[in-house]
Amino acid sequence: MTATPVYIVCSPRPQAGKTLVARLLSEFLLLKDGTVVAFDINLKEPSLLDYLPGITETAEIDDTYGKMQLMDRVILDDGIAKVLDLGFHAFDEFFKMSDEIGFLKEAARRNIAPIVLFLASPDRVSARGHELLRQHIPPSQLIVVDNEYVVRGELPLAWARGRLLSIGALPTFLKTYIDRQNFSFTDYLRQEKDSSTELHEWIRKSYLSFRDLDQHLVLLRS
Amino acid sequence: MAKPAVIVVGADKGGVGKTTVSRTLLDYFNANNVPTRAFDTESPRGTLKRFHPDITEIVDMTATPDQMKIFDTLNTVSPSVTVIDVRAGLMSPSLAALRDIGFLDAAKNGQITFAVFHILGSSIASLDEIAETANFMTGAKYFLVKNFINNTSFFEWDQATYASYFHRIKDATELTIPKLNEMAYEQVEVASVPFLKFVANKGSHDQAANYSFVLRGYVRHWLANVWSEFDRIKLTEIVGSSKMGARSDEK
Repeated sequence: MTATPVYIVCSPRPQAGKTLVARLLSEFLLLKDGTVVAFDINLKEPSLLDYLPGITETAEIDDTYGKMQLMDRVILDDGIAKVLDLGFHAFDEFFKMSDEIGFLKEAARRNIAPIVLFLASPDRVSARGHELLRQHIPPSQLIVVDNEYVVRGELPLAWARGRLLSIGALPTFLKTYIDRQNFSFTDYLRQEKDSSTELHEWIRKSYLSFRDLDQHLVLLRS
Repeated sequence: MAKPAVIVVGADKGGVGKTTVSRTLLDYFNANNVPTRAFDTESPRGTLKRFHPDITEIVDMTATPDQMKIFDTLNTVSPSVTVIDVRAGLMSPSLAALRDIGFLDAAKNGQITFAVFHILGSSIASLDEIAETANFMTGAKYFLVKNFINNTSFFEWDQATYASYFHRIKDATELTIPKLNEMAYEQVEVASVPFLKFVANKGSHDQAANYSFVLRGYVRHWLANVWSEFDRIKLTEIVGSSKMGARSDEK
């Protein structure tokens, strides 16, 4: 039986593109599977809840109760993919907690497949964050996301050796367009008649990347 | 039959986590396949018995019939390891009673393995209890336990003073019980199951339970740290048992 995937979109830095990737991934999964549950663990950053209120729940891990509310849901093998938009403020605490409670081991026992999508950025905080993850997350479950709008071609070579997922940079005017709260990537693909537009291509390419990732994970788990 | 081993867990005051430590000991021996029995001296209702009902009896350590129940059977019953959770404030009187019945002499002569886990309180009065206990420790193993489970702040007194008390007992060893998440601890209390069963998501009769994965994880992590302390002092060797195969948490 296919494992239930849990995608943890994270970065120890703000403004790295986490919510953008979480949005794209959530909409892709919704299109592919018909259902997805997203958890917004953010404070002041652009919030996933604002973009996808129908499928997103807020969560916090500041106290034990919040951790229970989140993780006891995430560990369920209900066949519904989960996307966690992990705010930068919660990065250290989330992975410390995960390590302490044995999340990865328990996930393996319960047919859950956690995948960490680490949004890279060329700074020391990000490098330390990646190193921390590398020590605790198996390579097959740690994907570095090269958000070209943020990284601008400066991705450290060491990171490029592992599994990589690239999100191309959009021109600023298009970025402003997709940042509107009522913008849906899937709706745009469906409604835009001209499939050669830059935005249409960008969304398709992003969705294809997620599809390739999904298929790679299915192969790994089989 | 293996040489009988008796472990006394005591404290000079209540609320320092004495019964919690007793519970971790019973779980440790269980996981290491060391048959153990326990006596709970919080007569009449008991506290330890609530968590380990199958192997625990409630006794009154001041009553002769109950003293006979514990000590007259040391050489004749299996299991060979006995854990006695002594009521708070009664450790010195209990040790005096053991001296009076010749138990401490038997320990000194090597007929019985005797160990004391003294759970330290945070007040300076606890240091006096160490001094009192020292009188009974010849031939016994003495473990001074700092229990941080509820974030107690200890030892604000002068370290030299503490050391002077600690070193009154030959071969005394310090153990540290780390802090456990409060909610996790509370849930185990509510469930009234051993820590091991809580981690395994089982009820008191081994039925499947529905405890929080997060809280079970915290307890598992904490228990592993506690047991690493017991491993460090080679507790299974002290009680005369060799580990039989992999421990249940290592499987």
